[in-house]
Amino acid sequence: MKGKNQHAVRSRGASDGRLVLAGVSYLNSRPILDPLDRAPYADRFSIERVVPSEVARMVAEDEAAVGLIPVAAAATLGDIRFVRGIGIGARGPVRSVLLVSNVPLDRIETVELDLSSRTSAVLARLLLARLRPSEPRYVGRTYPAGGPRLDDKTAALVIGDPALLLESQFPHVLDLGQAWFEWTGLPFLFAAWGARKRTHVMSGDQTSLREALAVGLSERRAIAQDRARAGDIDAVTAHAYLTEAIRYEFGDEERRGLELFFEKGASAGLLPKTAVRFVDEPEPATLPPLDTLLERAAQGERLSGSEAMRLATEASLFDVGVAADEVRKKKHPSGVVTYIVDRNVNYTNVCTTSCRFCAFYRPVGHPEGYVLSREELGRKLQEVVDAGGVQILLQGGLNPDLPLAWYEDLFRWMKANYRLGLHALSPEEIWHISRLEGLPIEIVLARLHAAGLDSVPGGGAEILVDRVRRRIAKAKCTSDMWLEVMRVAHQMGLRSSATMMYGTVDTIEDRVLHLLKLRDLQDETGGFTAFFCWDFQHEQGTRIQAGETGTSLYLRMQALARIVLDNFDHVGASWVTQGPDIGEIALRFGADDFGSVMFEENVVSSAGTTYCIDAAAIEGRIRAAGFRSVRRNVRYDWLTEPA
Amino acid sequence: MAGACPPNLRRGHMQTLESIAAKMAHGERLSFDDGVALFRHPDWVAVGQLAHSERTRRHEDRAYFNRNMRLEVTNVCVASCLFCSFAKLKEGDPGAHTMRLEEAWRELETRMDDPPSEIHIVNGLHPDLPFSYYEKLLRGFKRIKPDVVLKCFTAVEIHFFAELYKMTYEEVLSKLRAAGLDCLPGGGAEIFHPEVRTRIANDKATADQYLEVHDVAHRLGMKTNTTMLYGHIETFEHRVDHMLRVREQQDKSGGFQAFIPLAFHPDGNGMKNLPGPTGVDDLRTLAVSRLMLDNVDHIKAYWVSSTPKVAQIALRFGADDVDGTIVHETIYHAAGSTSPQGLTRDMLVRMIREAGFLPVERDSYYGIVHEFARAALPEGAVKVRDRKANKHLEVIS
Repeated sequence: MKGKNQHAVRSRGASDGRLVLAGVSYLNSRPILDPLDRAPYADRFSIERVVPSEVARMVAEDEAAVGLIPVAAAATLGDIRFVRGIGIGARGPVRSVLLVSNVPLDRIETVELDLSSRTSAVLARLLLARLRPSEPRYVGRTYPAGGPRLDDKTAALVIGDPALLLESQFPHVLDLGQAWFEWTGLPFLFAAWGARKRTHVMSGDQTSLREALAVGLSERRAIAQDRARAGDIDAVTAHAYLTEAIRYEFGDEERRGLELFFEKGASAGLLPKTAVRFVDEPEPATLPPLDTLLERAAQGERLSGSEAMRLATEASLFDVGVAADEVRKKKHPSGVVTYIVDRNVNYTNVCTTSCRFCAFYRPVGHPEGYVLSREELGRKLQEVVDAGGVQILLQGGLNPDLPLAWYEDLFRWMKANYRLGLHALSPEEIWHISRLEGLPIEIVLARLHAAGLDSVPGGGAEILVDRVRRRIAKAKCTSDMWLEVMRVAHQMGLRSSATMMYGTVDTIEDRVLHLLKLRDLQDETGGFTAFFCWDFQHEQGTRIQAGETGTSLYLRMQALARIVLDNFDHVGASWVTQGPDIGEIALRFGADDFGSVMFEENVVSSAGTTYCIDAAAIEGRIRAAGFRSVRRNVRYDWLTEPA
Repeated sequence: MAGACPPNLRRGHMQTLESIAAKMAHGERLSFDDGVALFRHPDWVAVGQLAHSERTRRHEDRAYFNRNMRLEVTNVCVASCLFCSFAKLKEGDPGAHTMRLEEAWRELETRMDDPPSEIHIVNGLHPDLPFSYYEKLLRGFKRIKPDVVLKCFTAVEIHFFAELYKMTYEEVLSKLRAAGLDCLPGGGAEIFHPEVRTRIANDKATADQYLEVHDVAHRLGMKTNTTMLYGHIETFEHRVDHMLRVREQQDKSGGFQAFIPLAFHPDGNGMKNLPGPTGVDDLRTLAVSRLMLDNVDHIKAYWVSSTPKVAQIALRFGADDVDGTIVHETIYHAAGSTSPQGLTRDMLVRMIREAGFLPVERDSYYGIVHEFARAALPEGAVKVRDRKANKHLEVIS
């Protein structure tokens, strides 16, 4: 067993063979982590300190062997095994996870959720469901320094060190640790050392981590004093927090509390139903039967990453398809499939990114590089209006000669002259403009929105795993940056779609992680309308070998997406890449939308695939598959009667 | 026990499908009404699952293909079939072409470094060629490659030869066999029902004549295929009727190897206003074929007609055979097919494997020439990368 998985995470960052650990920099983690920076542990372990969501990501993507992983992220991944005896929890008041407000909780309409911890957000939602007859609106926020500013209708969930300072600033304070304890009589575990099931954590390493904690616990006074040097928290408060509020155990009682949290989270549809296991426990001899998993999927239950992997790798295409079909039926019982009459216009092919899977772009200065003139653009837009179209999908390469003002002018002109929705750009283009202009994302999006941007297409996601992105699109923004743009856009009221392009160097696990990231963001913002996926079209002009592709895989991926993305309303069939025949077949494999009529398509077709069909053909296809068709707009409002 | 009912079918599907599944489980033959009900059934995925069960019972996960070559030595034709873009083409018309024998033979000669194992020839009905042209054609191929299997001339052509050269079917077939003919392809069947046949293919062999030719061929020891052209003016009832006639003939003479549903393509022919069948129809028709034709071993998905993408899924809806490498297809492409004109063997193997089946190269009689490795896991699955070796654990070897 020893050699089997060491390669997985000893190599990255710690080529000296040390085990890579990921932790956070909050005060409460310091008794666990500080001793690991010193002898004798420093010879064994290499610590990365990051934010909690990043810990989960590093463990999921095998960049860290073990992480102080928030328990909700562990449930989502589904295959995390915990190190016994070490945790960050509370039995009663925790003091650093607080719901604060100016008015009593039953008068609250909105709850702002600190985005740095999903676990606390889930706990807050479970507690509020108990304390109030109706659900408030949840909004994700990162707070300014000094904490949240609240009106009389809003509460805020504040987590970590900032929360320690807030207790006296608001008249109404709900300590979530205390509330949980009153509800269940059990401690609440927020985070613990966890590793993927396939990572073998040696017993020597486990012992070292427990020893290190013992050292850290004996140093709490020194830690508190050191923390007080920052000036915001005094040493007494810090010490009391570390000794009275936070409990560092992970034994049977904590396990029961955690199991109960997962159970309640699953009943509320917020967490997958995951068992709690330790690294030193033997695995059960058999997994739950696949049929049970398929049945749960068909019922719309939230699945973990490892459950999604099972469906992807063990279930037959029919089984996955039937389950996805059931999910689709529940979400869309009317038997209607939507499509939109719009046009995809690529305003420029000049691009600085040179992704390996793209044959459309031209480098700056290339003779075939273009930027569409107003005349050409106007002609195309008029054609859309004449054809009864309702929006324009405007995307292009990252052209360094086009400043933000160019886009603002263009959008204003389009809105002034054509009655069309403006579904434009992509997170990549937004980042590009932001870098070009030296402006934050929020400002760029706000200005574009003011100039006429209605929604943001979900392109450029490819695979939201940086290991893959580095290979196929090195110069593109990272996964986090893509998600961040969407988060900001959604918070601003802009809707967007989400996509996935697989079939280069990605594995099935990468695709599942991609879907989980989309699902998590959708939990926060609810701003995604639909999901589309397709496989890499490998023909002339692209510069990377195709990985896994094929029709069966396409249908399987789409069905998997429908099952995993339980909080997405719509899944669309990508007939542009797969052909209208497969698009039609895909309608019984989870898709409820047939995308858009193609007047033209340039980007994907530069790599070889060209399918163009009109509205009548789309409607025929939808009916052939046994559904009624409806035209929609970007928000999926119905514009016609089902027919 | 024939085909266990897939568990998913038990979830709230209509009574009809369950009773049909029960019939099949008892080895009972499906009726005309069953066939129509299957075509009309709204849950075409469930129908497909049933067909897949049956396909699996017969063929497990094997997907057959062979290395063949298709040739058309003449497209000159006296018939006026509505669905054909070569209809009524005369010698000398633009696009009309009749190969000289040397031309035809060269097609094989130039491929002898990687030769096809089978040559498939179907032609227009040329009024002016001597019978010896065809005999010489066959002899020439056998001279170049004595073990090549010649699957030539549809039953419609055989009937035409009999009329033109004043011979019986038996004489025509015996002479051609002596010259090297091995099997008959299935073309020319279209739709048997006279309501349809008289409207779309009125001036060539009737259904009875077509079936009679195959009957004679089978009695002479020849294996043949048979087809059905669907998705034009015919109804589901016509399709089921056609299948039942095939089934009846097979009961009598037993020589059909494969049934091949062919999707109608609307460009460049007399029925270009019709939309043609769609992917769902293709899958449904394959599925119903598998279920109805209990006495025909193989159901073939012709990827030129339905596109390689649909053919991959077709393997899961009743088809066990994907028509071969073909090299340079012309007939469907004149009628607007956008499929590539030839798939290499590697591409076919990959296509089959990605669909989750075992690629099996076969000979003309479904003997196994070579079994390729199947994908290690269900289609679409790949193990997590072995990062230490920095090697993607490829499913495709």
